[in-house]
Amino acid sequence: MDLISNLATGFAVALTPLNLAFCLMGVIIGTLVGVLPGIAPITTIAILLPFTFTLPPASALIMLSGIFYGAQYGGSTTAILVNLPGESSSIVTCLDGHQMARQGRAGPALAIAAIASFFAGTVATVIIATASVPLSWLAIKFTAAEYFSLMVLGLTGSVALAHGSPAKAIAMVLLGLLFGLVGIDVNTGLPRMTLNIGELGDGIGFVPIAIGMFGIAELAVALGRPQDRSLLSVAVKNLWPNWLEIRACLPAMTRGTAIGSILGVLPGGGAALSSFAAYAVEKKVSATPERFGKGAIEGVAAPEAANNAGAQTSFIPLLTLGIPGNAIMALMVGAMMIHGIQPGPQVMTAQPELFWGIIASMWLGNLMLIVLNLPLIGLWVSLLRVPYRILFPAIVLFCCIGTFSVSNSTFDIALMLLFAVAGVFFIKVGAEPAPFILGFILGPLMEENFRRAMNLSRGNVLVFLERPISAALLVATLALLVVLILPAVRAKREEVFQE
Amino acid sequence: MGRINVPDLAFGLFLVGVGALALVLISDLPMGTTARMGAGYVPRALAVIIILFGLGLGGRALLAGHVGLPEIAWRPLALIAGAVGLFALLLPRLGLALTSLAVVITAGFASHDVRFRENIVVALSLAAFAVGLFVYALGLPLAIWPVR
Repeated sequence: MDLISNLATGFAVALTPLNLAFCLMGVIIGTLVGVLPGIAPITTIAILLPFTFTLPPASALIMLSGIFYGAQYGGSTTAILVNLPGESSSIVTCLDGHQMARQGRAGPALAIAAIASFFAGTVATVIIATASVPLSWLAIKFTAAEYFSLMVLGLTGSVALAHGSPAKAIAMVLLGLLFGLVGIDVNTGLPRMTLNIGELGDGIGFVPIAIGMFGIAELAVALGRPQDRSLLSVAVKNLWPNWLEIRACLPAMTRGTAIGSILGVLPGGGAALSSFAAYAVEKKVSATPERFGKGAIEGVAAPEAANNAGAQTSFIPLLTLGIPGNAIMALMVGAMMIHGIQPGPQVMTAQPELFWGIIASMWLGNLMLIVLNLPLIGLWVSLLRVPYRILFPAIVLFCCIGTFSVSNSTFDIALMLLFAVAGVFFIKVGAEPAPFILGFILGPLMEENFRRAMNLSRGNVLVFLERPISAALLVATLALLVVLILPAVRAKREEVFQE
Repeated sequence: MGRINVPDLAFGLFLVGVGALALVLISDLPMGTTARMGAGYVPRALAVIIILFGLGLGGRALLAGHVGLPEIAWRPLALIAGAVGLFALLLPRLGLALTSLAVVITAGFASHDVRFRENIVVALSLAAFAVGLFVYALGLPLAIWPVR
């Protein structure tokens, strides 16, 4: 069995003391970030990115992925105990989880959230491992045209998931694409839009943009909102759910995992969408839908399973095709490129230790998380008592040091400041920064593949429709766009984002 | 101004501005042909599409009904931006320890419930923590004290 030998390779890498330590560090930081409202995993990954440069690539990526799925666990703790989603994917967990806590069943709610997450994480790890090989065979058939079409689909997906108006999200993608082209044109060596600034020759740094928009800008906006963090002071006792509850949750967990795994792979998909969808499905299939919102344990199990499965399977397009499906995956691409790894199907064959090491570390990380989350729950809860006014100056300082350390230049700090101000503007006019960052990452890749495809077809635009895989991807894009514009779906989408 | 969607109009104008700026900056780059694109082809196409989006969004905003100027909390924005600016200005001169102090104290005042003494204590501990973690543990090449 290939799968087993591949996983053996992976575990050999993931089980080295160094990588175990970084995996543990990643999931601890992730849990922390998930627990504390106001600090998103994307911000944290952006801030920590520069500090991973000195690490071996596998350790760096293992730690960064740990932060991402670790945050899904931590987010549920805050959702259940404080009724505040520490993480956008935990919004639906608030509904039933917090009701359970009010009824004195915080323990079982937390336990079932952790169990569902672990179950989903295990299944998702196996799915990633099995799906990767066939997908990478498919990817070898990809030429420039397919890559271009796939990226179009990915960008459209990110638009579909952005809150607010699709037109603004498309505009943000286009802006991102344009900013991605700043620097020396690889084909002709001509500088483009560099304003004759030497530092811009290599393009606009990815770290200053990410930290500026997601770290500083979000912080400045969040500080303008009134903070309400009244902690529910319930003692968390008798953690274990009874058999009846576990039996009720098993099918919910399975459905949640399936939904999360599928939605996670889709471009633009990921943890947040998965948890919404799983909750909606669970309410539909339930014999007693009126219990939902009043402390139904399935209403905790299904979305928690789904968001963890979705978080993990969103690595599939990145690892097999080199295409990031959401903004966090875009940061992972940035991390890989900084380590000199060109993301894509060749990673699996050229660096199997890295590829399978990351996959194996995900399961180990999930195992660590369940240990960290259940017995140590009191510790995480006490962290919630740290006032925000003490936390945020630390975030500002780390953002600055992180950006500076990339190339030891204050020019990057100035860029970060510029993008922070732009980020505040975008948030205030209702245009989300996530599609921008995705466009920014994909801009140069898309241009390169577009130019190559047009070059090979001698300027015939129809090449994108003549090649079957490319055509299928474009048809999917079109379908997605139609769905976006349909009024019924738009109303439904607004309703989902309202909750 | 009564019927205008101000945020949408602002975003539309911003798009037009960025697109126009890009067109000016790339005006001397060769377009090439569709089969052999020059350095200016894709950026120019993008800039034009962005301008069109800006015009569309801005035009719609004029008819869309009134949405006022969004509330902007200037104090946190100015103080956080100031703290970041201070970092860029001070770090090459004062070193990490004093710069961290200045950044944390400035940023601290961005919050409404800032407490003066607590802010100083937080700043001192964070400065020590930053020096310990980034210079000693992670080995970043940063000066700790003012450079002569």
